[in-house]
Amino acid sequence: MLSFIIRRLLLGIPTVLAITGLLFFCVTTLLGSPATMMLGENATPQAIADLNARHGFDRPAHVQYVDWLARALHGDLGRSFATQQPVAAMVFPAFPVTLELAFWSMLVAGTLAIVLNSVPTGRRAIVAAITGLNILGVTVPNFMLGISLIFLFAVSFGWLPSTGWAPWSEGAIAHMKHLILPVATLSAYYFGAFSMVFRAEQRDVYRKLYIQVARSKGLSEWKVAFKHVMPNAVLPVVTFIGLAMGQLTGGAVVTETVFSMPGVGRLFVASIATHDFPVMLAISMMVVVAVVLMNILADFVYTLINPQIRLE
Amino acid sequence: MLTNWRFLAGATIVTAVITVAIAAPLLAPYEPNKSSILLLQPPSAQHWLGTDELGRDILSRLIYGARTSLVIGVGAALVAVLIGAPIGLAAGYFRGRIDLMIVPVVDLFVALPALILALIITVMVGPSYKNLILVLGFVMWPAMARLVRGQALAVREATFIEAAVAAGGTSAWIIRRHIWPNIMGLVAAQFAIAVSLATITAASLSFLGLGIPPPTADWGGMVRSGFEFLALNPAMSLAPGAATAITVMGFYLGGSAVE
Repeated sequence: MLSFIIRRLLLGIPTVLAITGLLFFCVTTLLGSPATMMLGENATPQAIADLNARHGFDRPAHVQYVDWLARALHGDLGRSFATQQPVAAMVFPAFPVTLELAFWSMLVAGTLAIVLNSVPTGRRAIVAAITGLNILGVTVPNFMLGISLIFLFAVSFGWLPSTGWAPWSEGAIAHMKHLILPVATLSAYYFGAFSMVFRAEQRDVYRKLYIQVARSKGLSEWKVAFKHVMPNAVLPVVTFIGLAMGQLTGGAVVTETVFSMPGVGRLFVASIATHDFPVMLAISMMVVVAVVLMNILADFVYTLINPQIRLE
Repeated sequence: MLTNWRFLAGATIVTAVITVAIAAPLLAPYEPNKSSILLLQPPSAQHWLGTDELGRDILSRLIYGARTSLVIGVGAALVAVLIGAPIGLAAGYFRGRIDLMIVPVVDLFVALPALILALIITVMVGPSYKNLILVLGFVMWPAMARLVRGQALAVREATFIEAAVAAGGTSAWIIRRHIWPNIMGLVAAQFAIAVSLATITAASLSFLGLGIPPPTADWGGMVRSGFEFLALNPAMSLAPGAATAITVMGFYLGGSAVE
C-alpha cells in the first residue's frame, strides 16, 4: 500500500513539472515581458531593456523556469507585478476563504444530494421534483444563480449582505451571514452533479441480492434505503468530492467574483486581468499540484472503502 | 424517443433558441449596438427590458446574444467531438500502446478545472470568436475522448465484432460498419451536452471579462455589466442570465434524454 502511494506520488511529479513548465513557457512567450505593464505604455526601449536585464526577463524561458521553480520550492513565489507584494503573502490569506467556501459547499451539496436522493418514495411527483432540482443545479450557470440570490435576498428582502466577507474575528453570525449565499450558489451545481452520480450507483445497488434479502427479512423500505443502499452507493460521490476539492483549490472563480470574496479565485481573475504572471503562475501551480494530489488520494480512499478494488 | 418528455422539452427549447438567433433581425425592435441618450432606463413600452449603460435596447441585445452563444457553444462542441471522438475511438478499439499513451493524458485533463484552464489559455491568446471556440473545444475534447473510448471498449467485445474479424474484416471496415453506428447515438448525445457545457463556460468567461469583446451583444458580458445596476434594473443582468440558463438546459435535456 505504501509503495502504491509512493509510486503514484513519484509519477505525479513529472506531470506537475510538465504542466507548470508548459504554462510558464506559454505565459512568458505569449504574454511577453511585463515591462510595458510595469513601466507604462510610453516606456522607452532602453528602459524596457534595463528592466528586463534587472529582473532577468531576457534570459531564455527554460532558464527562467528552473529559476522560478527553485525559488518556489523554497517558498519564494516572487513578487506580484501589480502590487509589488510577495506573492505568498497575497495568496496565503486568501486560501482559508476559498477553503471554507469549498468545505461548506461540499458538505451541503453532498449531504443534500445523498439524503434527498435516498428517500424511498414511489410518488412520481416527488421523484420528478428532485430530478428537476438536479437538472436545474447542473444547468443554471453559477453567476446567474448567484446574482438571482443576491437580488432576492439582499436587494429585495434585505435579509442578507450581498457581497463581501466578514472574517471570524468579526463574529460568527456576521461570518455565517456572508457565507450563506455563496455556499448556496456553489453547492447548487455540485448538488446536481453528486445527485446524478449517486442515483446511477443507487440503481445498481438496488439490484443487488442483499437488498432483496434485506427486504425479505421484513426491513422497512426506509431502513433498506438508508442502512443498506445509501452506504454502498455513496462511494462514487466520495471520490467525486475528493476530485472537486482539488479543483476548488483554484477557487470557485465565478462564485468568488460574484460575491466579492477575498479568496484565491478572485485573486486569480484579478491577476489575469492585469497580466500579473507571478500570481497567475503561483496559483496555477497550486491548482495542478492539488488536482494531482487529490486524484491520488481519491483513488486511494476508494480502495480503502471498497476492498474489492485492488491496488495495482 | 418522441414521447420522451425530456427530449421533447429539450428539442423545443433548442429549436426556439436557434429560431430566435436566425430571425434576430426580424425579432429585435432595435439595432443591438445602437446607443442612445436614454441611459439605464427601466422597462417601458418602448424598451420592454429597458436600456443599458450605453442606451442600447436590452431586449434587442438579448435576441442578438443568442447568435453569439450558439456560435460559440456549437462551434466548441464540434471541435471537441472532431478531436475527441476519433482519439477515443482509436484508444478504445485498438487498445495497446495507443491506449496507454492516451489514457493518462486524458485523465489528467479531465481532472483539471475547465474554467481555470480556459481562463489561462484565453488570456494568452486573446478572446475572439475563433479563439474562444478553439480554447473551449480544446478544454472539452479529453472528456469526449474518454466517453467515446468507454463506448468503443464496450462495443468491441460484442460477438458480432468477433464474427466480423473472423470473416476477415479490416479494422477500418469494422470501425466504419460496426463500431461507429453503434456509438453514433451516444456521441450525438454527448455533443448536445458538450454544447451546454461550452455555453456555460463561455458565458462564465464573458462574465469574468474574458469573453467576446464589446460591443458585440453577448449574454455573459451583459450579465457582467448589468450586475452593477442590479437594484436599478434587475432585468439587465437577470434576463441574459435566464436566457443562458434556458439555452443550456435545452441542450442538456436533449442530450441526457438519449440515455
